[in-house]
Amino acid sequence: MKPSVEQIENLLALKRDERPEEGYWQDFLCEFHHRQREEATAKSGLANLTDRISTWLSDLGPSKWAYGAGLAYATVTVAFFLTPRGAEIHNGPTTPVNYQVVPAPAPTVEQLEELDLSPSTQGSAGEQVF
Amino acid sequence: MFRQSRPPDPDQDLVTRAQQGDTRAFDALILKYGDKLYGLVYNMTSHKEDTHDLLQDIFARAYQSLGKFKGKSTFYTWIYQIAINMTLNFLKKRKRRTGISLSDPDTNVQQDPSMVDTTHEANPEQQSSINELQIKLNEALKKLSDPHRMVVTMFDIQGIPHAEIAKVLKVSEGTVRSRLHYAHLQLQSALQESWNERF
Repeated sequence: MKPSVEQIENLLALKRDERPEEGYWQDFLCEFHHRQREEATAKSGLANLTDRISTWLSDLGPSKWAYGAGLAYATVTVAFFLTPRGAEIHNGPTTPVNYQVVPAPAPTVEQLEELDLSPSTQGSAGEQVF
Repeated sequence: MFRQSRPPDPDQDLVTRAQQGDTRAFDALILKYGDKLYGLVYNMTSHKEDTHDLLQDIFARAYQSLGKFKGKSTFYTWIYQIAINMTLNFLKKRKRRTGISLSDPDTNVQQDPSMVDTTHEANPEQQSSINELQIKLNEALKKLSDPHRMVVTMFDIQGIPHAEIAKVLKVSEGTVRSRLHYAHLQLQSALQESWNERF
């Protein structure tokens, strides 16, 4: 006998009361805050770097445009030389093809055999009689 | 949760404080909804460590995105949606990474006492039968596909109505009912033997 759908549902409903073990959420919160702090530190490190770069750029004054233009020119030049020119055609490995030229059997012997060279007919095969 | 014409969000105050940087307010939200989300994630992953890590990620994502929460739904609906999306993504990645399917044998969940309810009053013999059935049920649940397991978890375990499940999973209500029907048939078949022995 199979359990009815209602019985299955009742059995599943018992799982609503499942809880993690005692004290789980306190540990969870500690770890959560620890992770958040670490992430904030990492972010602030990145933010510091960005700040320092922007400060350095602003300290440069009008010459920053010259530096910027030079950097852009260098980037374009490097990109130009590094860009591949069209697609290269790569030949795949060659597959040896076994073409064997079978020489036709030389018919010479047969032709000779076919010729009637007996003394009685001598001279009748291909010989001109004058 | 998940009502069409809903009353004001009961968490509005905590959410506002958390948005203003009050970490204690967010802690209160974690403590308030942690058990529900734990149930969702654990019933889907069947793995304690994965559940823990995933919950950390879910709450971290919610905390980082709190500024984007405009109160169009309740906070619980919002974070539940985050949890579902992240859990389904995690399961996909886990399968790709390790080739583990939930239908593969795994002894974690079915032997886990925390997954077996012991709070209901019953005589010891009856309780033992229920516990054994729960273990079989956990095994059977693990054999369901992710979409089927998700609707069973949401409807039967978490008590969310069909229409809301459809909305959250972005499928039709008919699809939800169909998945639920198929999943129940699977569970019925899986429990048949144990049911015959016990009852």
